[in-house]
Amino acid sequence: MTQVSMTVNGGAVVADVEPRTLLADFLRGEMQLTGTHLGCEQGVCGACTVVLDGRIQRSCITFAADCDGADVTTIEGFDDDPTMQELREAFSEHHALQCGFCTPGMLTTARDIVLRLGDIDERALREELSGNLCRCTGYVGIVAAVKKVAAGKKPDVAAAAAPVISRLDGPRSPPAPSSPQTNGPVTRTPVPAMAASVGESAGGTSIEERVRVAAPAEKVWSLLSDLQRVVPCVPGAEITSLDGEDLVGKVRIALGPIKVTFNGQAKVGMDTSKREGWLTGRGRDAGQGSSAEGSARWTVVADGASASVIAVVLTWKLSGPLAQFNRAGLVHDVVRRLAATFAENLEAAITGAAPPRRKALGGLGLIWSVIKARLFSGS
Amino acid sequence: MKSSAFELKHARTLGEATELLAAADGDAKVLAGGQSLVPMLNLRLARPKLLVDIKRASGFRELAADDRVFSIGAGWTHAEIEDGVLEDPTRGLLRSVAHGIAYRAVRNRGTMGGSLAHADPAADWVSTLAALGATIVVQGGGERPKRHAAESFVDGAFATKLGESEIISAIEVPRLSVDASWAYHKICRKTGEFASAIGVVVLDPKGGLQRVLAGATSGSPVLLPNTAARLAEAGPRAACEIVAEEIRVVLPNLDLDTQELHAVAVRRALATLGEGQRR
Repeated sequence: MTQVSMTVNGGAVVADVEPRTLLADFLRGEMQLTGTHLGCEQGVCGACTVVLDGRIQRSCITFAADCDGADVTTIEGFDDDPTMQELREAFSEHHALQCGFCTPGMLTTARDIVLRLGDIDERALREELSGNLCRCTGYVGIVAAVKKVAAGKKPDVAAAAAPVISRLDGPRSPPAPSSPQTNGPVTRTPVPAMAASVGESAGGTSIEERVRVAAPAEKVWSLLSDLQRVVPCVPGAEITSLDGEDLVGKVRIALGPIKVTFNGQAKVGMDTSKREGWLTGRGRDAGQGSSAEGSARWTVVADGASASVIAVVLTWKLSGPLAQFNRAGLVHDVVRRLAATFAENLEAAITGAAPPRRKALGGLGLIWSVIKARLFSGS
Repeated sequence: MKSSAFELKHARTLGEATELLAAADGDAKVLAGGQSLVPMLNLRLARPKLLVDIKRASGFRELAADDRVFSIGAGWTHAEIEDGVLEDPTRGLLRSVAHGIAYRAVRNRGTMGGSLAHADPAADWVSTLAALGATIVVQGGGERPKRHAAESFVDGAFATKLGESEIISAIEVPRLSVDASWAYHKICRKTGEFASAIGVVVLDPKGGLQRVLAGATSGSPVLLPNTAARLAEAGPRAACEIVAEEIRVVLPNLDLDTQELHAVAVRRALATLGEGQRR
């Protein structure tokens, strides 16, 4: 518990709060100020908008423990505010509310627009209101009400205190150069006709990565046909047990602050005559409740007598919170990097070279140590 | 829709913040404005053990300048940049971009450094600062601060060059000359939503800067050097003609319709080049 003291609607408040308590929950639950509404709880709908230290903010994505010393005004604190009085009347006159759920946030935002920007045109007004969602009115009444109150008002031009600017002390070193391309005994030549492709396959998204390795296909396949070696090449993957074609294991994936560990089972198999292997499985992340199912398929094709191409196709389908979060190909990008790292790790496992250092996917160092231990301790 | 439990520590200085991170064994996150992180915590997508709050820590709101570069402390909010509380060394580009980030209530809390560290590919600063050739100053990885070129700072979605105990302290933005022109266009399904494509153009022959960039890809933003060269030689109309072709080369993994969306964003930016600073 953290002790915070703040001013809420003009009154001093001292309370012990858990770090994870949101300001909105503190106001509603502890202070009984239920005029602050919670809609989306992810900063999108604006129903929880309050004034914090003179600026409108989302109380659903602000922790109460972070508001020590703050001055908070909720919708209940605007009873005697002259601008809010005008807005209340205008909202009533223009039917700017129906169910009233968005209204506290809408009024708080509207007051900020009127005071800060004054009389602005409708396009700008609608843009400024876009962070507050209303599911009843279609916004026409709301826009008309705010427009009426804003009419003739002057923007607040009170200049903010001029910040102190110091001289940059030189000499400054130039920025670090971009990370160098992979170098090592293996030539990674992107083959134009074999550009990585992405597509939707039945029930999932798939990605293909191809890497050219300077070793004959036979030698590459003989290493790839050992699953104990192949699976750890998938970044974050670990085998718990492998019994015939039944594999139990886990895959850890980091997507920025999002870290998931899928525990699951898979079936694995291979066709030596075609130099082809595959793995199909599903897993679940216990903490978050997201699930994933997917497959990996790898083939080795000879490219002349002394070189070969490894093609890896990854297909996946997500469900649960992670799938809901996935916006326009974000997971796609992660899987693309995962596939590329998998290919690099395979390459490294074949040649005995250390894989290029990459921290993006996390855990690679650990995986490399596992590969190295398994592959090279006896060789 | 409530975060899982975590410990919250308020750092008093930048140095203390990096020490707290270093001691946390990789399971800590920095809390600046929290406008991207807290939604992820509420959804329980992210479940760090420790949050290190830096809102009141000293060392994140320094401003320093010379005649070429303006250094902005990482803790300045989007709204402060939008309002012109600090000087805009880019002749209006930073202010214009800041105004378009999410919504005012979010801009009042979210910070420039926090947005860069989070590295959402659709984030406005990720693309803008890369197009400007800014330098990102990072502390905590040793005695001296590390300096990263903004265009290579983001490795992919939510992945950056930041180490586990490193924090962005400042962003050094090059000053644009009086003859410079810029344009920024983003395509969003709804105002304030994450962009599905961003086009940025910065043309400053005096300052040696001619850049065209496609942002809000699924990974890091990409520069379009051929389009930029054509722009400098033959103007925006001629540059527009080769945008789609270059997008196909630099973003080969995207679907055709997504490639076209990025080409449209860049062409719209080119078409309005210089209008921003005349407004």
